[in-house]
Amino acid sequence: MPRVFITGLGFITSIGNDATTVTSSLRSLRHGFELYPPFQKPDIPVKVVGTIKEFFTDSTDPEDWTFPARYRIKRELLRSMAPNGLFAHCAMLQAIEDAKLTDADLSNPQTGLYAASGGSPMLTHYHHERLTKAGVMRCSPLGIVASIVGTLNFNLVAAFKILGASCGFSSACASSAHALGFAFDEITLGRQHRMFVVGAEDGNTDAILPFAGMRTLSLQTDPALASRPFDAARDGFVGTGGGTVVVLESEAEVARRGVTPYAEVLGWGQASDGHNVAISHPEGNGSAAAMTNALRAAGVAPGAVDYVNAHATSTLIGDISEARALRAVFQQDLARVAVSSTKALTGHGLSLAGAMESAFCALAMRDGFIPGCAHLATVDPECAGLNLPRTTEARPPGIVVKNSSGFGGANVALVFRRVT
Amino acid sequence: MPPKPFAPEDEVALREALKRCSPSTFEAAVQFRKTGNPEHVPAVVIGVIERFVEPDLRVKLKDADDDLRLIEDLGIDSLTMMEIVILVEDVLQMTINNDELRNLRTVGDVKTFIDCKIRGLPLPKPTKFIPIEHIGAVMPIQPPFLFLNEASVSSTAANGKYKISGQEFFLQGHFKDNPVMPASIMLEALGQLAVLYLLEGAPTEPGKVVSPQTIFFTGCEGVRAHRVCKPGDILSLSIKPKRMKMPLATFEGAIRVGQEKAVIAEEITLTFGIVDAVNAPVPINGVGVAHGQPISTQTEVAPVATPVRAAMNG
Repeated sequence: MPRVFITGLGFITSIGNDATTVTSSLRSLRHGFELYPPFQKPDIPVKVVGTIKEFFTDSTDPEDWTFPARYRIKRELLRSMAPNGLFAHCAMLQAIEDAKLTDADLSNPQTGLYAASGGSPMLTHYHHERLTKAGVMRCSPLGIVASIVGTLNFNLVAAFKILGASCGFSSACASSAHALGFAFDEITLGRQHRMFVVGAEDGNTDAILPFAGMRTLSLQTDPALASRPFDAARDGFVGTGGGTVVVLESEAEVARRGVTPYAEVLGWGQASDGHNVAISHPEGNGSAAAMTNALRAAGVAPGAVDYVNAHATSTLIGDISEARALRAVFQQDLARVAVSSTKALTGHGLSLAGAMESAFCALAMRDGFIPGCAHLATVDPECAGLNLPRTTEARPPGIVVKNSSGFGGANVALVFRRVT
Repeated sequence: MPPKPFAPEDEVALREALKRCSPSTFEAAVQFRKTGNPEHVPAVVIGVIERFVEPDLRVKLKDADDDLRLIEDLGIDSLTMMEIVILVEDVLQMTINNDELRNLRTVGDVKTFIDCKIRGLPLPKPTKFIPIEHIGAVMPIQPPFLFLNEASVSSTAANGKYKISGQEFFLQGHFKDNPVMPASIMLEALGQLAVLYLLEGAPTEPGKVVSPQTIFFTGCEGVRAHRVCKPGDILSLSIKPKRMKMPLATFEGAIRVGQEKAVIAEEITLTFGIVDAVNAPVPINGVGVAHGQPISTQTEVAPVATPVRAAMNG
């Protein structure tokens, strides 16, 4: 079975728009939160967002958007994009350069792309309103491909001339972790030599505020306190958008191209809670089963894991469920496994989270550090027993587990190994 | 058609709709909406097309002739065409059907089409593009004396292109060590385009077609050469019928190289005859005559991805 490696990364995130800045933010625990201007109204109690700097995408007209001049994107491509498409497009360009891929490496039957975003609620709303106001035949011809779930893969596959497997994943906050898992499978099954894994979200008013109805968003007004997974005083998650791209390649391609990978993907697993449409299982059964399945598939004993990048979003119920799942899986080894949730820095990227945080793990493995638990002051007693480093540790994690969980109780765990 | 009253809020909406178009486009749209005068329509249509063309291709529109092709020259795909249509519909307050869009291939087609819609006139027959293979198949004139590389024919005009390759046999002697396209040959090329028009574009009685064997040159008037044309130059030829009365057809013709005038002919007159369609040679593509029943000799326009087809990929 071909081994699978991570060979390229691209980031448009609240904590940095390139790998260097992201690494520095992770090491120094510098968050990406701001008081988001559209939320500073009396009737919106949510105030903080993990904002994407240097990009303005709050207009429904892509030609109004502004973004760094180093990304030159033709109107022909821009017109069918949602904000998440723009973020991901820029992250793709970075990842292609980072992985040193040629045009021929990019566009061939052995190279595919799996993507995940929640679509664009902002554009769905806008185009639907146009349909009712301007008339059925005056809708934008590109309204659908810009807004529905799948907009990300439609746009990227066309823009980058992808000829291999392409698909979108829709398991909410587990989506891009699923994408990475199934992309790994494509390569191990010998169907593809190379896969782009993309996660992205708009991270704007229409994408984030609907979560307020569930009372899952933090109402903190201090950006430095809003996202604090595992902390006793946490009060919900902080929304964010952006885009991340992870390039996976077979061992043979890594050797042929002579590139140095970030890390190896050892395997993955998934399991479902079968419990509630939106609430995680109180004992974290599905999450524990996903981790157990992933470790078994990867051939790794729980005691060999050095770091878990948790799903923990800073919600009251979710963080406890995951803590219980970690206890169930790691048992006597719990104290040796460092656990942190980098959502303390970025906020919760929803469909973006799995790919973004896997990419963070890749940076941590290559550069030899374990990101600490930012903003953690008092550990929730329900999460006691976990090894939650308060500051970044300057040691390279050898084996890393990345957890992701989504609505409906979908749980994914991915296992990575440092390349030495 | 008297225009609907143009209220201040209409002007605000119009300004918003045309915010990425030139000020002159907006002005023309305002004038049209206020007066209903179709003379303002071409400026609006060109302005809207310009807005959707990639900036580096917009220069082509600046001195565009009506022959400029939307897909090949301006990179406009069927989805962009829909964007253009929706904006034109919006600013000119009209409705365009999918079927009507199918035949719009050039800037001239679009202008004529919108103009006819506004004036309530019947729509013209679409411009036919005739590739070199088809030119060779229908023309009585053949290489090495055929001076058309490509052509388009409508019921009101024909346009063609010919690139002077430098390999033309007569250039060896015209002139010594200085190859120059003879003006007489350029006139011949215009005549050939007129022949193509007679065969492919001229309206004839039902069941009749122009016979290629019956077309001959009879005369020309007001011929002036303005520019020396040499190998590498691309001749843009155009002819328009002035009078058609059996057995004579008179055309005006012009040749340009880029934007420069090369040859003008005020009148070129050909003689022609018609025959029953059943006896006419069958044009290639298998279109023309079937089972002895005369049908249109119209060559099918090459299929273009229409919005309808594009949507089917969804």
